[in-house]
Amino acid sequence: MPLKPYLLIFFLSFFSLTLFAQNKFTLSGTIRDASSGETLIGATIKITGATPAGTLTNNYGYFALTQPEGTYTVTISYTGFASVIKTINLNKDTKLNEELNDANDLAEVTVSANNRKNENVKSAQMGLERIDMKSLNSIPVLLGEKDVLKTIQLLPGVKSGGEGNTGFYVRGGAADQNLIILDEAVVYNSSHLLGFFSTFNADAIKDVSLYKGGMPAQYGGRLSSVLDVKMDDGNNKEFKFQGGIGLIASRLKAEGPIVKDKGSFMVSFRRTYIDLFLRASPDSSINGSTLNFYDINAKANYKINDKNTIYISGYFGKDNIGVKDLFENNWGNVTTTIRLNHIFNDRLFSNTSLIYNNYNYTVRLLNDVTNFKATSLVRDFNFKEDFQYFSNKHTLRFGLNATHHRISPIDITTSQESQVNPLTQEKRYGLESAVYVSDEWAVTEKLNLLYGLRLAAFSLLGPGNFGSYDADGNILSSDKVESGKFYKNYLNLEPRFSLSYLFNEENSVKASYNRNTQNIHILTNATSSSPTDQYVLSSNNIKPEIADQVAVGYFRNFAENNYEFSGEVYYKWMQNQIDYRDAAELLGNSNVESELLYGTGRAYGLELFFKKKFGKLNGWVGYTLSRTERKFAGLNNGNYFPSRQDRTHDVSFVGIYNLNKRWTFSSSLIYSTGNAVTYPAGKYVVGGQTVYYYTQRNAGRMPYTMRLDLSATLEGRNKGRFQSSWNFGVYNALGRKNPYSVEFINDPTDASKTVAEQTSLFGIIPSVTWNFKF
Amino acid sequence: MKKLILYIAVLNLCFTSCKKIIEVDTNNAAAQIVIEGNITDQLIDQQIVISKTVGYDEKGIYPKVSGATVIVTDDKGSRYTFMEKTPGVYVQAMRGISGNTYSLNVSVEGKTYTASSKMPNRVKLDSIGVVSNSFFSNERKTAAAYLVDPENETNFYHFNLYVNNLFSRRIYVNNDRLTNGNKLRIQLFYESDDDDNDGLKSGDKISVEAESIDSNIFDYWYTLSQQSGRGPNQGTTPANPPSNISNNALGYFSAHTYQKLSTEVK
Repeated sequence: MPLKPYLLIFFLSFFSLTLFAQNKFTLSGTIRDASSGETLIGATIKITGATPAGTLTNNYGYFALTQPEGTYTVTISYTGFASVIKTINLNKDTKLNEELNDANDLAEVTVSANNRKNENVKSAQMGLERIDMKSLNSIPVLLGEKDVLKTIQLLPGVKSGGEGNTGFYVRGGAADQNLIILDEAVVYNSSHLLGFFSTFNADAIKDVSLYKGGMPAQYGGRLSSVLDVKMDDGNNKEFKFQGGIGLIASRLKAEGPIVKDKGSFMVSFRRTYIDLFLRASPDSSINGSTLNFYDINAKANYKINDKNTIYISGYFGKDNIGVKDLFENNWGNVTTTIRLNHIFNDRLFSNTSLIYNNYNYTVRLLNDVTNFKATSLVRDFNFKEDFQYFSNKHTLRFGLNATHHRISPIDITTSQESQVNPLTQEKRYGLESAVYVSDEWAVTEKLNLLYGLRLAAFSLLGPGNFGSYDADGNILSSDKVESGKFYKNYLNLEPRFSLSYLFNEENSVKASYNRNTQNIHILTNATSSSPTDQYVLSSNNIKPEIADQVAVGYFRNFAENNYEFSGEVYYKWMQNQIDYRDAAELLGNSNVESELLYGTGRAYGLELFFKKKFGKLNGWVGYTLSRTERKFAGLNNGNYFPSRQDRTHDVSFVGIYNLNKRWTFSSSLIYSTGNAVTYPAGKYVVGGQTVYYYTQRNAGRMPYTMRLDLSATLEGRNKGRFQSSWNFGVYNALGRKNPYSVEFINDPTDASKTVAEQTSLFGIIPSVTWNFKF
Repeated sequence: MKKLILYIAVLNLCFTSCKKIIEVDTNNAAAQIVIEGNITDQLIDQQIVISKTVGYDEKGIYPKVSGATVIVTDDKGSRYTFMEKTPGVYVQAMRGISGNTYSLNVSVEGKTYTASSKMPNRVKLDSIGVVSNSFFSNERKTAAAYLVDPENETNFYHFNLYVNNLFSRRIYVNNDRLTNGNKLRIQLFYESDDDDNDGLKSGDKISVEAESIDSNIFDYWYTLSQQSGRGPNQGTTPANPPSNISNNALGYFSAHTYQKLSTEVK
């Protein structure tokens, strides 16, 4: 996008900001859940009267609307909650703090379609999916362990990292191009147990938003998506406990007021217990083995006064795998976020965050001669300052962000007898900073704009020895850089622009363009994330990854908002993509950048989404038609080749049926084209081995995947405050053998011939979970 | 390491039988020239074998390529012309010398293929033996090669293992990047043609061939070893290993040292 017209829009909008008439007043406040005091994110505030207007609450439940003096009817609504309607005489700046009641608690109110009416049609935001935490609980998943990352994979434009895997790809992006944040802290490795479970314990999660495109300017640092996960604040009215016992893990959560209506806390714990079964084995090496993970989520908030609220939240999770006398491997994330919400005045809201997060792993080999301990760490300190300014036609956001990265690629310590040498690979330091401004502007009744700019800077810092390499990976020179010196700097301007145009209340078209850049990269070409994935920063060799995405969509709601339909097409260009040479050795290699190849990528597709939001039967159908390709000088003769996750067709169907107050049934059915893989085009013998000859990279296809999952939830009869429910599930109810990998082996009936053998992971897997609350 | 973790995960999660033979849609490419050339430091008939690929689903009978002109030269001015002994197998009695760079020149079917490889210093294979490991309380015996890695140079090793004269279908390749200058015990896990991988039994005769190879040949074997035993969709995307032979020939040309030791499992 040329800069000049862009700046012009900015000036125009600032100009319009200054045109406030004298007799305008601001209505502002915080919207909460009446039963728990949790703030509600994205609740709709709609006012009718002389000049109708509307807004949504922000991430902290806060809203502000500025209107000319007058009498207004204010409707506050939120999905699943009974709306509140109030008449307000706006003749001075007015506070409106409201609490909404859960619709299920009120017999006379049916959850109607009037809540958040047509929001998806009107908002200029594109490519945004919000996960309803209530429906998450009934969607069937592997082993009954409900999981936000598996649920988002059922949405169009999001592809699964593999069978039962929590890794995901968004619109052709790689797995490391998703910005996954938990209470604003980056979670580098969002999976447990090799990807079968995610680090997000659904009990502790309040809100999940996924941006597939049209990323607002306050987010940056990754190319393809933003997954913004927010933890529960905790009940500030009364003490509550909830938990569950499942096949894989059990969970317990406690929450309650610190000071009633002023502050609350939440602590949630989850742990697997497969290893308890291992321990029961009479076999000494099995009962000495470990296989477990656990998560702790904790959060506290305190409202100091009307203008200031402080939040402290943290996550701590760890996986442990080990076989007695053979090896031990553990890995985990730690995040800590301290935030201060400050309301300068009714229109200016700010949030200051101090964030610490790390991801680390340890591998120990316990063999007598090759024993060693290898550790690795990625650590960030992050400071963020975000402002939101509300006026009647504009919501202005601006802020800044500075993150200090430290990467310890690997540190190997060994015993005296070990044949492995100790090794400390040089640490890498980087400073990532950004300033941004964006404006959401209701230009007319029909036209909404959301546009902004993000200026992203990255500096690779000393100390260190930085090599430069030629195209063949030979070292050309090496620079020794002192501590604290800036070795290499990059500056990128990222325009973000979306608009919506409403034909009428139920019909709109939207368009968006955005540029994203990325300065921290994972070196991998495996499908699933691995605990030992290696992170690298942009450097003199590695340029920041850049993605430009354009998208156009049509949005339509039917039948009083009961049905939503959307169709979006997108095209994405990616620059400075990273792959590595075939013979690359990545681990403990101080010249690891000599092994890398740089290329481009392109992705395009069509996403269709049809959703029935309310009623006894609800759910959605999603369809994605897409193509994802990459091009590297050293691979596939320099021609474009499909990415592994390039699956042409992807269909998902989710149906939830509320039979009565006690029984809820749900199912999900997925179909997807097989992964693009490289099949042999011939074979030959060298060194006494049969070796396969490959021609085109990823030109073959795995068989397609199709899976039906079912679940049923039975609510117990409520006895006082104690509530319980049973969840029964069947994963892969059709028992289909879906492909996990394909290997070429000698034909069992004729060893001179070769056949393809498919491995599947899961047959029919039943599960049962018992949940409780009191 | 990663593979081991994966095995355990699969052991725990794969409740039903999960393997089946499938049909895949792939085209066989036209036959390609494959050259496998070895020059060792033994005074023997050195061999350059020239063959062609076949379709992956065809019988493993590989066409031999006859009538080639095969010449090996070294950087000291020697020139060896290889003669076709049996179809596709070209031989010449000679001894390679560590430190010399050998160049291969093959002319066949109107094309010329060249390659070169520098024979590294020989690292003495001190002994071979048998190591017992317990894996989930199964005692498993594996062959091991013992040697002392020289500290002042970068070394690359390739091993072949034979059990009762049967060749183990696994690629054993090592470098000294993380183990430079140490006494090494390199374990060679046996992989037989059948699925009987219980390890070695008492009375088995084992032989180990140890080769000191150059870095290009290490890359060749290492790339193959990263791909073997894993199918598409898992691990590294398979690709042809980087050959040191020009003109897109498959295979390799390696000048390496050679030692062989044998023993019996007690």
